[in-house]
Amino acid sequence: MNAVLTQMLNGISFGALLFFLASGLTLIFGLMRIVNLAHGGFYLTGGYVGLTVVTLTGNFWLAILAAAVAIAAMGAATERLLLRRIRGQVMAEVLLTVGLATIIGDMCLAVWGGDPRSVPTPAYLSGSIQIGSFVYPRFRLFVTVLAVAVGAGLHYLSQHTRIGTIVRAGVDDRETVAALGIDINRVFTGVFILGALLAGAAGVIGGAFLSLSPGADIDILLLSLVVVIIGGLGSLPGAALGSLVVGLVDVFGISQLPALASFILFAPMALVLIIRPSGLLGRRA
Amino acid sequence: MTLTTAAKLLALVSAIACAVALPYVVGSFLLSTATLAIIYGLFAMSVNIMAGYGGLVSLGQAGIMASSAYGVAYVATRNHGYVAQVGAGMICAIAVSVVFAVMAMRTSGVYFLMVTLAQGMIVFGLAMSLAPITGGENGLTGVYRPPAVTQDWQFYYLCVGVLLVCAAAIWVFITSPFGLALRGLRESESRLRMLGYNTTLHKFFGFLVSGFFAGVAGVLFAYNNQYVSPSVAEFAVSAQAVLMIILGGIATLSGPLIGAVIIVLAQNWLSIHTDRWPTIEGLVFVVVVLFAREGLVGAVSRAWHRYVPGQATGTQAPPAAAGEPAEGPDQAGEPPPADRLPAGPGGSGVPRGLSS
Repeated sequence: MNAVLTQMLNGISFGALLFFLASGLTLIFGLMRIVNLAHGGFYLTGGYVGLTVVTLTGNFWLAILAAAVAIAAMGAATERLLLRRIRGQVMAEVLLTVGLATIIGDMCLAVWGGDPRSVPTPAYLSGSIQIGSFVYPRFRLFVTVLAVAVGAGLHYLSQHTRIGTIVRAGVDDRETVAALGIDINRVFTGVFILGALLAGAAGVIGGAFLSLSPGADIDILLLSLVVVIIGGLGSLPGAALGSLVVGLVDVFGISQLPALASFILFAPMALVLIIRPSGLLGRRA
Repeated sequence: MTLTTAAKLLALVSAIACAVALPYVVGSFLLSTATLAIIYGLFAMSVNIMAGYGGLVSLGQAGIMASSAYGVAYVATRNHGYVAQVGAGMICAIAVSVVFAVMAMRTSGVYFLMVTLAQGMIVFGLAMSLAPITGGENGLTGVYRPPAVTQDWQFYYLCVGVLLVCAAAIWVFITSPFGLALRGLRESESRLRMLGYNTTLHKFFGFLVSGFFAGVAGVLFAYNNQYVSPSVAEFAVSAQAVLMIILGGIATLSGPLIGAVIIVLAQNWLSIHTDRWPTIEGLVFVVVVLFAREGLVGAVSRAWHRYVPGQATGTQAPPAAAGEPAEGPDQAGEPPPADRLPAGPGGSGVPRGLSS
């Protein structure tokens, strides 16, 4: 019983990590119609930046902050200097992020080397908590709580603030939003920065309970893409639901059939694509 | 015969002549590079069938090439004959294509791209984890070239021959009514559907044809390397094929091959001098997407149409009648569209970001 509960919590906390990336991906797509395939690169770079900061200062929170700021700046540069030049040419925008992902992955390898690295966590977040006979790592609980908080924050931002209203209006009809005198380009940049910021912070968190190594960017990107495919591109609740599904399927898949772990993820994605190509909570078929 | 047609024939004949003469001129290093360029060129051509003509860019095609390469290698390690090896390779490629096509055929645009990316990664994951069949990280050794093509120059000629046959077949395919319908898919799927075409079925068969040629490339790959490892299925391989296409010229027959020659040559040459080849490749990717999306073939053809007088203009030839489909608009005296990259899903592909 406890073993199953542990697995379930593992799945949920892994899903929580994926949510940090998937929510950014889905927000960016919803507004700008871009699937940012450099998102995995943002995550990995954020993780490495955090690792460097922890090594230098010993402060985990400072590492998350530094990673978030650094990757937000990277996102701003990407949006302002590159993507803006080819705005509206959807496939070109996506392919540009493919090139970017290649560069980022290789630069990470050049700067931080090829060995797997882990971000050390502060003492009060490591170790385990015990409830009765049930023991569970503290850090994974922390990640889950953080993801719920971030999810709630994003939900509030999009449903109950002026900025959120503008973003949602932009998703529906950007011409009209622009015609109403709102600088839609600034909204684009803002959303892209928010997505990048989340990915950068997620890198530090992911670096603490997975590990950072070349290829980790593509791995996490794949999982995040599966999340948004299942949940429905552009839908924030879809990203949450998809993260949960992928996290649980991944953890149970690995424990039950390790050799077919990657294949097991395939099944829910295939099912969703065949039955509901726009995703569980996606809008249009 | 118009001047343009004559020029194309001349280019084709001289390209074939160069290809035939190559083993007599260059050393073994360049010859093996050329062989690799042909294999990747064929692979990029297979991606171009869907990406260039159908407007559906796949980022997982390496998964299909890898499955055929693994099919060949698996049967080879079980000591079966060459017919069985090639047969197994092609059956693997087609089977995987069928499964992938069923999943991807109802999606379009960016969704298609994401789904295929995931598919490719899953083949990579399986190649890594199914060690009893695929040899895991170590891959499979024990693939040997058939006796008639053991030598590098013999194998090179085999690749040239296969490429010519495949290129001719692809040309016939894309100029066929089915190929035209596929092109209609790129322009506007909803309009095509309104006209009564079953677009889902068209995507399915287009995917299958594309997968078939990726399978052929996979068979050649297995015999060329004589070793198959998960790196064939890597995301980078699929992404590189897309780069080859847009560098050479998307939706042109020769573009992917020209792109492949440039990239493979550059990679083999630069890898001697620097470890940072992926960064260079990524930079080329970004620069091409930003500034040179019509690709080399597109640029050359535009220059040709601008500076060479005396062509048949305004002959009402439909774009399909021209051998190189990309030439269509030029002959009607219009500037070529700067952006041949397909649009996104639904109505979002309307230029300048009109939303649906």
